[in-house]
Amino acid sequence: MADPMLRLRGVNKSFGQLEVLKGVDLDVQRGEVVCILGPSGSGKSTLLRCVNLLEPPEEGEIFLEGQDICRGPGSGTGESSWNLDFVRQRVGMVFQQFNLFPHKNALENVALAPERVLGRSREEARSKGTELLTRVGLADKLSEYPERLSGGQQQRVAIARALAMEPHVMLFDEVTSALDPELVKEVLDTMRELASEGMTMLVVTHEMGFAREVGDQVVFMDGGVIVEQGKPADVLDNPREARTKKFLGLVLEH
Amino acid sequence: MKVFFEQYFDFNVMGEHFWEVFDAFLQNLLIWVVAAVLVLSWGLILAFLRQLPGKKFAPVRFLTIAYIDIFRAIPALIVILLISGGVPFLTFLPKDIRIPHWFGKPDPFWYGVAALLLVFGAYMAEVYRAGIEAVPRGQMEAARSLGMSHAQAMRHIVIPQAVTKVPAPMLNEMISLLKETTLVSFIAFGESVLVSREILAERLNSSALILTAFFFLIIILPMARVVDYLIKRNQLKITRGAHIEVG
Repeated sequence: MADPMLRLRGVNKSFGQLEVLKGVDLDVQRGEVVCILGPSGSGKSTLLRCVNLLEPPEEGEIFLEGQDICRGPGSGTGESSWNLDFVRQRVGMVFQQFNLFPHKNALENVALAPERVLGRSREEARSKGTELLTRVGLADKLSEYPERLSGGQQQRVAIARALAMEPHVMLFDEVTSALDPELVKEVLDTMRELASEGMTMLVVTHEMGFAREVGDQVVFMDGGVIVEQGKPADVLDNPREARTKKFLGLVLEH
Repeated sequence: MKVFFEQYFDFNVMGEHFWEVFDAFLQNLLIWVVAAVLVLSWGLILAFLRQLPGKKFAPVRFLTIAYIDIFRAIPALIVILLISGGVPFLTFLPKDIRIPHWFGKPDPFWYGVAALLLVFGAYMAEVYRAGIEAVPRGQMEAARSLGMSHAQAMRHIVIPQAVTKVPAPMLNEMISLLKETTLVSFIAFGESVLVSREILAERLNSSALILTAFFFLIIILPMARVVDYLIKRNQLKITRGAHIEVG
């Protein structure tokens, strides 16, 4: 069998004295959607940030398409080296706070990196950007600036922006948590569509419904380790671990 | 009281020496413009060097911070005196640099520009730094996660946003810079304060200094109003942004 898209082995990450990840193992197959649940401070976001080396892990191994991304020149500093380019060209990320570039309009947000990083011509980058924004339902917002867009629209621009780099894996870091309730659905719909097209996705979320419906695997994290993982129905309906039960009880009660 | 007014507000003296003082004031403006263009660029370079990431660039960051700290601490006048007194004797430099007479301007003009550049470059670096640090961290992270290098992210994402946050403090530095051009009078460059003091010596009357002060007022007062306007506009922007986030 081919290498998994992503393989994590014993990933450790500390911020000073604080150990945030304490030996995480995880395999993500090509085209799989893995939803990561857990209380705040459990290390879910840090795990995503390790995968694209925004926070390079201190120990452990991360294989992306079979390639060890934590070795090689510059590893551990998060600075320019072959593994960083390798990773950033294959891994797209969407953030909780959107992080759109406020001085650029929607289309420029999407077209900038392909032009500057992939060396596409301006026309090519823009036509691809237009296509992507159309795909996320924003064909009429190409020249709007982020401050004139709703949170849901901004987040869809952010998804299009990440897709413009033609990633093989997409990381979603609580992308609906900063949204008003009525705007959550449009973003989840976009992600659902992406999943159905076969994108490999690592999704940190509190949306149980999304995890159940779209996730191929659900991972429950607490205290920097993976407590439980499996099929959504198994983990969400028949959790084995006490910590999982407690968390799901708190989340699902209201 | 009459003596005071005659000493400082003698309109005959002002009238007779008006064009003399005016021409000298134009020299202040010229130093200012030349230095300002250089200061704005040099400050940006320093701010950029100070922000370089990682262990590899630690020496560069250290040197940049040392430079900024030192030149913020030393009075501009001392820097001017040291440069005009020292640079001519740095014999390893070519003569055109030791004793510059570029564009028909005498060497004190260029020593003054150089000293003001060194000092205000350090101030301006701090202004830019405040702007850079006011840009949310997520902007850099988003740019990096899209594959941009640190330099690309700074150039296309962080700095364009940082410079929109700095016009008011930047203009304040420019106002200071304009006033400090008078320090070049200490190394015998014929700018407005030097000329006014020559007139004082000749006529035993200080009115030319008042005339000089008046020229500075005319240029700087509108700039101060622009600073106020920029601050107000920026506050409006912030409240508007907050409003969007809430609702």
